[in-house]
Amino acid sequence: MASYTYTATPDQGAKAGVLAYLVVSAVVLLLMMLFGLLMRMEQAQFISIGGLWFYKLMTLHGAGMVGIVALAGASIMWHFLRQYVELTTSIFIANLVIFLIGVVMILASVLLGDFHAAWTFLFPLPGNSMGMWSQGAAALFMGGLLVIGVGFVLLHLDIARAIIKNYGGLGRGLGWPQLFGPDDGNAPPPAVVASTMVTIVNLIGLVVGASILIMMLVNLYVPTFEIDALLAKGMIYFFGHVFINAVIYMAVIAVYEILPRYTQRPWKSNKVFLASWTASTIMVMFIFPHHLLMDYAFPKWFLIMGHIIGYLNTFPILIVTGYGAMMIVYRSGIRWDMCSRLLFVSLFGWAVGAMPAFIDGTITVNYVMHNTLWVPGHFHTYLILGMVAMVFGFMYYLGKPDENAKDSPIDIAAFWGFVVGTMGFTMSFLYGGKEGAARRYAEHLPEWIPYDRLGSYFAALLIASVLVFIFRFLTRLGLAGRDYQRASLARSIAT
Amino acid sequence: MKRTSSPYAVRMGFGLGISYLFLATPMVRDWMEASMSRHMLVQMPLLVVIGIVACRLLPAHWQNSVLARVGGSIPCVVVALFASSYWMLPRALDAALNDPLAEMAKFLSLPLLVGFPLVLAWRRLTLIGRGFVWTNFISMLAVLGWLYIVAPVRVCNSYLVNDQETAGWYMVIASVLLFLWWLGTLLVGGGVGPDKPDRNGTGTKLA
Repeated sequence: MASYTYTATPDQGAKAGVLAYLVVSAVVLLLMMLFGLLMRMEQAQFISIGGLWFYKLMTLHGAGMVGIVALAGASIMWHFLRQYVELTTSIFIANLVIFLIGVVMILASVLLGDFHAAWTFLFPLPGNSMGMWSQGAAALFMGGLLVIGVGFVLLHLDIARAIIKNYGGLGRGLGWPQLFGPDDGNAPPPAVVASTMVTIVNLIGLVVGASILIMMLVNLYVPTFEIDALLAKGMIYFFGHVFINAVIYMAVIAVYEILPRYTQRPWKSNKVFLASWTASTIMVMFIFPHHLLMDYAFPKWFLIMGHIIGYLNTFPILIVTGYGAMMIVYRSGIRWDMCSRLLFVSLFGWAVGAMPAFIDGTITVNYVMHNTLWVPGHFHTYLILGMVAMVFGFMYYLGKPDENAKDSPIDIAAFWGFVVGTMGFTMSFLYGGKEGAARRYAEHLPEWIPYDRLGSYFAALLIASVLVFIFRFLTRLGLAGRDYQRASLARSIAT
Repeated sequence: MKRTSSPYAVRMGFGLGISYLFLATPMVRDWMEASMSRHMLVQMPLLVVIGIVACRLLPAHWQNSVLARVGGSIPCVVVALFASSYWMLPRALDAALNDPLAEMAKFLSLPLLVGFPLVLAWRRLTLIGRGFVWTNFISMLAVLGWLYIVAPVRVCNSYLVNDQETAGWYMVIASVLLFLWWLGTLLVGGGVGPDKPDRNGTGTKLA
């Protein structure tokens, strides 16, 4: 029978590569947030940048955010996973370099080539610009995505190699012997289980994404090679949804690894935990049709599958993680600092952010709500207050001067600014959606503008708070690489 | 290694030679090459498999010596990738049907330039290298199959459009099955390679 006790492990500082990932992530995240604010201000009629720039910024904001949160998530995953398996630093760095090459291609495509067909690059829009952008600009955008995908494939292959070398197979990385046999207490730690899941789903998603990108590139130059538009949309959303889902599963490793250090209670890889991750490994690949429910031409079974699995996949990992975090924290006497606050609130953001998707995944609701601001309301909550909060929590953890260091009032104010700003900003989306405000419109009806204005104020508050987080991280970069005890011990243990 | 012991290798080599000659007989060639699907998805892979088996029949020190002479595993993979890519081109298929020299080149190059070097390289490739070969091959197969399905023209003069479409579908299906199989080996087995501590990198498995 397995017994679980907490075994203290030393706090390791971040490798230079992890810090490089985090610095790039912080800078690009801030830039993308500013682009988002400009879009919201355009809708609110505070500024007038025009339709072309709105859609160019929307394309950059979408593609940039998906890419940069993936990069930030990968840095968290790599930092903790390398404490259990032997990862290859050169491949980790190669991924960053390849990513930056892809980013330059995308920036050139949008800023110089005027490409603005959104990150979804839905077929046949990239090849039918009606003179708004050139063939070369569309090819550069899709080529940039392809290049970024190649980097991530390499990274995941290295992770797969390392997990297989250490545990003997990806099934063992998911803890299958303990899940389907007796739990001997030797299941892989949560960081390994999560990394295995992410590696499996991302490898599949990236291969599908690369296939549709190559086909669209062929079609761009030889249009007589026609692509089934419905199939192309299905493949794009499969790739996109798997990839963006995976980022939170990478970032949640920070919660699994750091919170136990504060409370000195172990995060158990028990049967329930392992079952939830295995279930989600499968379900996360079938959940994407909830974005396609309005495409009536898809087979009915496909849409019903999306509806049912959308319901089912909302819960396993979320409940196991949320419940697990509460059990770790409950009556532990945890000392709240910026890191533990951000990590704990991230679970709230994840839970709250998943709910609008759960509702929107209902076919009858989807018909009315899917093309409204309700959907951006969902993923902004889930990503900012969930995933991005985990990233900032990780940054504060790395930069914490010592275990007893106190947070400055500015940081605490920034934390509340972040929470209130995000809630207000995302509620403006959700409420606008409820009122019928269409998504992806540069110009809004007068009835929608009050929500846009409110959203802009809250977005500005959010960005101001993020500026404090980033500034603090950058000023503590020197500390982030050193090995020392960071987590403040819970009162019950410290006294 | 039992496999490289003389009687076993001789018996296997003999069987292999018979299989190779059998594939080269006019009757079998005509039947295989009458359909694009059989040509691309049966005859050509069989020729590659013959190269793979032939290489594995050689004693390990011979394999190591050849590998060292050709410059290691990366040149071998590159040669295999280029040679296999060439035989995926429609005009290469046409040439093999119309020109005896091209047909001979196919019968020689697929075992010698694809199967043989892949086995040589495989022993030294880590899971990253093998993963690269697999993901590259599978995605090429899928995309090529897709292109065959949607091609607005006959890409091969020797085959009809419906044959081309059928071959395309088989390629897409094969790529999906191969991908699932490869992932399956990673899930339950883990593949073997130089990094695998308990098998000492014998490279005896292909995944």
